[in-house]
Amino acid sequence: MAAILFYILSAVALGATLICVTRRNPVHAVIYLVHAFFALAMIFYLFGAPLVAAWEVIIYAGAIMVLFMFIIMMLELAPDQTTEGPGWKRWLPVLLLSGTLVVCTLLLMFADAETASGVPRYYASPRTFGYALFKEYALAVEIVSFQLLFAAVGAFYVGRREKRKPRRAP
Amino acid sequence: MMPDWIITAILVAIKLGFVLALLLTGAAYLVLAERKLLGRMQLRYGPNRVGPFGLMQPLADAVKLLMKEDFIPAQGDKVLFFIAPGIAAVTALITFAVIPFGPPLRLFGREMPLVVCDLNIGLLYFLGLSSLAVYGIALGGWASNSKYALLGSIRALAQLISYELSMGLSIVPVVLMARSFSLTEIVNAQTHIPFALLNPPAFLVFLISVLAESKRTPFDIPEAENEIVAGFHTEYSGMRFGMFFVGEYINVIILSSMVTVLFLGGWHGPLLPGIVWFFGKVMLIAFLFIWTRGTLPRFRYDQLMHFGWKVLVPIALLNVVVTGAILLLLQG
Amino acid sequence: MLDSYLPIIVLIGIAVGFAICTTIFSRLIGQKKPTEVKLAPYECGMPPVGSARERMSMKFYIIAMLFIVFDIEAVFLYPWAVMFKKLGLFGFVEMGVFIAILLVGYIYVWKKGALEWE
Repeated sequence: MAAILFYILSAVALGATLICVTRRNPVHAVIYLVHAFFALAMIFYLFGAPLVAAWEVIIYAGAIMVLFMFIIMMLELAPDQTTEGPGWKRWLPVLLLSGTLVVCTLLLMFADAETASGVPRYYASPRTFGYALFKEYALAVEIVSFQLLFAAVGAFYVGRREKRKPRRAP
Repeated sequence: MMPDWIITAILVAIKLGFVLALLLTGAAYLVLAERKLLGRMQLRYGPNRVGPFGLMQPLADAVKLLMKEDFIPAQGDKVLFFIAPGIAAVTALITFAVIPFGPPLRLFGREMPLVVCDLNIGLLYFLGLSSLAVYGIALGGWASNSKYALLGSIRALAQLISYELSMGLSIVPVVLMARSFSLTEIVNAQTHIPFALLNPPAFLVFLISVLAESKRTPFDIPEAENEIVAGFHTEYSGMRFGMFFVGEYINVIILSSMVTVLFLGGWHGPLLPGIVWFFGKVMLIAFLFIWTRGTLPRFRYDQLMHFGWKVLVPIALLNVVVTGAILLLLQG
Repeated sequence: MLDSYLPIIVLIGIAVGFAICTTIFSRLIGQKKPTEVKLAPYECGMPPVGSARERMSMKFYIIAMLFIVFDIEAVFLYPWAVMFKKLGLFGFVEMGVFIAILLVGYIYVWKKGALEWE
């Protein structure tokens, strides 16, 4: 059961990413990418890491995709004319993908309930995960902190340099 | 004797029916309560024509919204325009799933916890959904192909993420004190004394952030009527506007419930049954929301961002460290 | 196990159903008399000028970037907070250093004026 779910979810993640990189419209691409992140989050949940699944949603779908939206809005990447061809047909993939995700969620819950064989052998509860992370990998945590520092400073500089360029006429 | 799964199904149905009825009528009557109270604060009556004391007003509003013409602006992104209000309403509705609204109840000889689903990562579920709620606004504003809508949604995006940060950071002391992500356990950790008294800074930061998350005065920059018409829902009409509207008021109920659960001790309280205490506290916070709207003017955008980034975030961060230090000292 | 998860799935189903049904219902009974002027984006009664896909200030990009950085910090704080008692002094010092390093970055961008809105 778990194996089948894993393959379905992987297929969803791969498919969504593939559709994402082939979209012309960047906002539509973002939506497919969010689907891919959801599929990944569910794979993490399936592997017995609910905390990582929650992180995947909070950080990737919640924070990084918002940055993407900002950039798309900022850079006028989106084409002006978006309405050509039948609307609903182009959106069939997104319906299909979200439908599959919902079905997988259902299966995930039932697999949890019915058979112990379906669930992974190792289950990292948020507590276990937190303890291991901060006890055994303390150095890694501090390195992450340094990386975040560099990211903050770097982001500031990238944004800064862009500002000094002469502005285009409005 | 009934089989086990039938009892389960009945219990689930009762619980869900109760929660949904409560949320939807609650949101509808919160609108009425707000209009009435604002009216009183501005020395007028508020709606009082439809039914006794205007009590049928929400129904009239719903019928009106349903009958309205529902059009899509030219060159708008049809499908996204269609989906966006749905995202706003659905994320608001399903957040209530993890909020415990009363002590466990005994029914059909079975213990029934008064929460739709007591996830052991309930707090993270709430945070995840509140970070997803921005999509409804972002996509709605973008798909409208209108300048006001786009401006509104960008403002909303920046505001929501800034205050989400201080909200997230002000929850950390609660987790420190309760040592759990489960909202039921957090409530039970406050049996004797609510966290609002133990850690007032976290409570205040959370309350203010929540006010900003609900996009209401004084934080209603995303829909500042006299600058950008109605912000991200400028182009919306009929039931799709209604969806944003319902979502906003359900959100008020949910955020009030989160304040209650995290800081005011949830259903705990003397004498009265737990469920009464819970809804009493929720209504008190909701009243506070309306009261601020009747009292305070709107922030300017730079004030809003300054306040979030330069006041709330440092306070919340410092509070995490101080709370940790105190807890460490108490443990010895 | 199933008892505890079933309600949340049903709730999500009902919520999605509610959203879809009300929109479709209102589409069915609402009137439809679109005109060209009605469908034009609202600009206070004037004919729309230019495109709605304007460039936005770079400021928002920096804010979003800083949000990601601090959001990651926040998600690191949660598992730490839940295990705080067991981690004890070691955990406290560790997280103190973590926060201190990030504070350096925070003070730096503050002093450089990234948080200013003109």
